[in-house]
Amino acid sequence: MSAYPETVVDKILQVTLQSNKFAYLAIDEKGRLVSQGGEIAATGLPQWEPGQSILDEALFLSGYVPMSRDYEFIAAFQAGNGPIVDIHLFRDQEQIWIILVDKTSDMEWESAARQNANELRLLQQQTQRQPVASDQDTDPHTQFDFFESLNMMALRANDDGSFERLEPVSDRFKRLYPESAESARALYPQQKFPFVENFLVDATEVWEAGDSERRIRSGPWVETDGGCEVALEAIALYWKGNRLLFLEVLDESYRLNQSFLQMGREGVLLNRVLEDEVRKQTREIRAREEEIALRLVCAADSRDDGETGSHIRRLGLYSELIAQHLGWNDADAEEIRIAAPMHDIGKIGIPDHILKKPGQLTESEFEIMKLHPEIGGRILSNSKTPLVQMARDICLGHHEKWDGSGYPHALAGEKIPISARIVAIVDVFDALIHKRVYKDEMPVDKAVALMLEGRGSHFDPDLLDLFIRLKEQMTEIAFDYSNPIGDDLSKAASIIDDIHLLRPGD
Amino acid sequence: MSKFKVCMLGAFAVGKTSLVQRYVHSIFSERYQTTLGVKIDKKNLQLDGRSIEFILWDLAGEDDFINVRSSYLRGSAGGVLVADGTRAETLDIVFELRDKLYHEVGEVPVILIVNKSDLSDNWTIDSQRLQALRDAGWQVIETSARDSSNVDQAFETLAGQLLQPVS
Ligand SMILES: Nc1nc2c(ncn2[C@@H]2O[C@H](COP(=O)(O)OP(=O)(O)OP(=O)(O)O)[C@@H](O)[C@H]2O)c(=O)[nH]1
Ligand SMILES: [Fe+2]
Ligand SMILES: [Fe+2]
Ligand SMILES: [Mg+2]
Repeated sequence: MSAYPETVVDKILQVTLQSNKFAYLAIDEKGRLVSQGGEIAATGLPQWEPGQSILDEALFLSGYVPMSRDYEFIAAFQAGNGPIVDIHLFRDQEQIWIILVDKTSDMEWESAARQNANELRLLQQQTQRQPVASDQDTDPHTQFDFFESLNMMALRANDDGSFERLEPVSDRFKRLYPESAESARALYPQQKFPFVENFLVDATEVWEAGDSERRIRSGPWVETDGGCEVALEAIALYWKGNRLLFLEVLDESYRLNQSFLQMGREGVLLNRVLEDEVRKQTREIRAREEEIALRLVCAADSRDDGETGSHIRRLGLYSELIAQHLGWNDADAEEIRIAAPMHDIGKIGIPDHILKKPGQLTESEFEIMKLHPEIGGRILSNSKTPLVQMARDICLGHHEKWDGSGYPHALAGEKIPISARIVAIVDVFDALIHKRVYKDEMPVDKAVALMLEGRGSHFDPDLLDLFIRLKEQMTEIAFDYSNPIGDDLSKAASIIDDIHLLRPGD
Repeated sequence: MSKFKVCMLGAFAVGKTSLVQRYVHSIFSERYQTTLGVKIDKKNLQLDGRSIEFILWDLAGEDDFINVRSSYLRGSAGGVLVADGTRAETLDIVFELRDKLYHEVGEVPVILIVNKSDLSDNWTIDSQRLQALRDAGWQVIETSARDSSNVDQAFETLAGQLLQPVS
C-alpha cells in the first residue's frame, strides 16, 4: 500500500509513461522476478525470466528503495554513460515495483552536448587525419549494462566479519577495490578502508536493531584512485534479514557540495582580509589625527608653563584607562585619549601678561583666566565629529565641580558630561604630582589624600573611587611613561616659545 | 609495529590538509581546496629504534556549517590540534575540539600546532599567549606547511608522547 494516495502515483506514472520509453519490474519478498515489461533494452536493464531469483539485484536496488516512505523518486539518474532515467520506486505488501523511465530524449542540453562532441571529433579527424572512435558507431542503449555502470557496490555481512559481494560489481569498484572483482572471494572492506572499519561500529548497531526502517549514511570520505581523489560514502541497511553495506561513489553531488562550502569559506576569509585592512587604515588615520591634534594643542598651550607636551599626553592616557574600566568600547576610549589633551586649548585667547604672570592673579585677572573653558568651547563648537564634540564637552566642563560650585556654568552632578568629570580628576592629579616652575611635586599618596577631601564636592565620588582603585596604573603612566611624541612636543613648544620671543611687540 | 590513529582537528583553512600533505608526501599547494568529509593517510616512521605507523585522519574544518562528527574521533590515540597564527579566533576552536576529542576517547596525548609561521609578520596570536599555554602544560609547536619548518618535529613530538608508557 502506498503512503501516497494511489491516485497521485498513478497520475505521475500515467503522464510520464505515455510520453517516454519505460521499463518496469516487480520483485517479490524472496527476490524472485514477478513480472517485467516495457522497453527493457532502452533502459539498460537485463532481461530476466519470470520466477528467476534476482535477489542480488533486488538487494542492490533496495539501496534506493524507500525505507520510511513507500514511494521514492530519483530524478535524472544516469549510471555511467547509459541513458538518463527517472526511477520510481514503491512497494506494496507483496512486492517492490521499480519503474525506469528513459528521459534521455528529454534532455535537450544533453543531446546538444553530444552534438558538440561529435562536431569536435569531426574537426579532430579533419585536422589530424586519423580516425577517432565515435559514439555514433555504437548504440549506447544496446551496449549498456545497468548494474555494471552503477556507482555503487553492495555487500552482505557474514557472521564471521567477512562480506560477500552481491553481483555484479561496477567498473568503478573494480579499480578502487580490485579484490572485489573476484566474485567468490570473502571480502574485508574494513581492512581495505580504515574509514569503513570505523563506520562498521555504527552499522552494526543498525543491523543488530533489526529494524527495517533504518538506513544510516557514513558521511563522505575521500580515497585516491590513480592519483585522482574519489569521494565515497558508506550506507548501512538492514533489509529482510540481510545486513547490507553499500559503498557509493559520490561524484557530482560531492563536488557540488564541496564547491558551495568552499565558496562560503573563501567569502569568510576574504571578508576577514578586508576587515583587517579597514581596521589597519582606521588605526593609521587615528594615529595621524592624534599626532596633529597633539602638536596643535601643544603649540596652543606653549605659552603656559604649566602645560607641557608630556602633561597633555599623559592626560589622554589616564582618561583612556578610566574609560576602559568604565566598560567603554575601544573606539570611545580612544576618542577620550585624543580629546582630553585639548582641555586647555581655550588658553590661546588669554593674554600673555595674565597667562605668564609669575605671581598670584588678582581677582579681575582670574576672572579673565576663567574664560578659557568657554573660549575653548567656542573654538570647538558646531562640529558633527564625535571626537570634536567630546573635546568641546571637556573644554567647557573640566573646571565644573560635582557640587555645582565650579565654572563657567556652575553645573552639578551628572549635568557635567562624564568626559569632563574624568578629565577634572586626572588634570588635578597630574598637576599635583609633577613639579612646576612655581611649585614642588607632591608624593602620590599625599596627592590622593588631598583629592579625597574633594570627593563628592569637587569630584564625582564614583569616578574618584575608580580612579583610586587604578592608582598603581595611574602612577605607572605618570612616571614610567616615556613618550617620544611628548618629548618632541616639548621641543616643538620651546621652538614656538622662541618664535614668541623673536616676534617684536608680542 | 605500533599503529596510532591520529585526528587532525581545527578550524577551516588553518592548514590541516597541507600539514598532512607536507608530512606524508612532501608537497605543498597554495591553492585552497576545502576538505569535505574525511581523508585518511598513512605515514611510517622510526623513533628511538621503534616502528610506528600513523593513521592520519584529516577531518573537515569546523565552522558554523560543518561540525566534526564525534564518531570520526572514535579510537583515536592522539590528536593534532591546528590553529592559524594569522587568525587568532582559530585558537578558540582548538579548545572546543580538544574537549570533543577528550569526551570521545579520554585524555589522549595532543599537540597544538600554530601553523603559517612563514607569515609571522601577520600573526595575530602573540607569543605571550603561546607562552601562557606552554606554562599551562600544552605542547605548542609553531610550523609552516609552506616552508616545511617544524612539521616533522611536530609529528615526532606527538609520536614521542604516544610511545611513553602511560603513568
Ligand atoms: N603561508 C602559508 N599558507 C599555508 C600554510 N599551510 C596552509 N596554507 C594555506 O592555507 C590554505 C588552507 O590550507 P588547507 O591545508 O587546505 O587547510 P585545512 O585546514 O585543511 O582546511 P579545511 O579542509 O577547509 O578545513 C591553503 O591555501 C594553503 O595553501 C602555511 O604554513 N603557510
Ligand atoms: Fe583648564
Ligand atoms: Fe591641564
Ligand atoms: Mg583540509
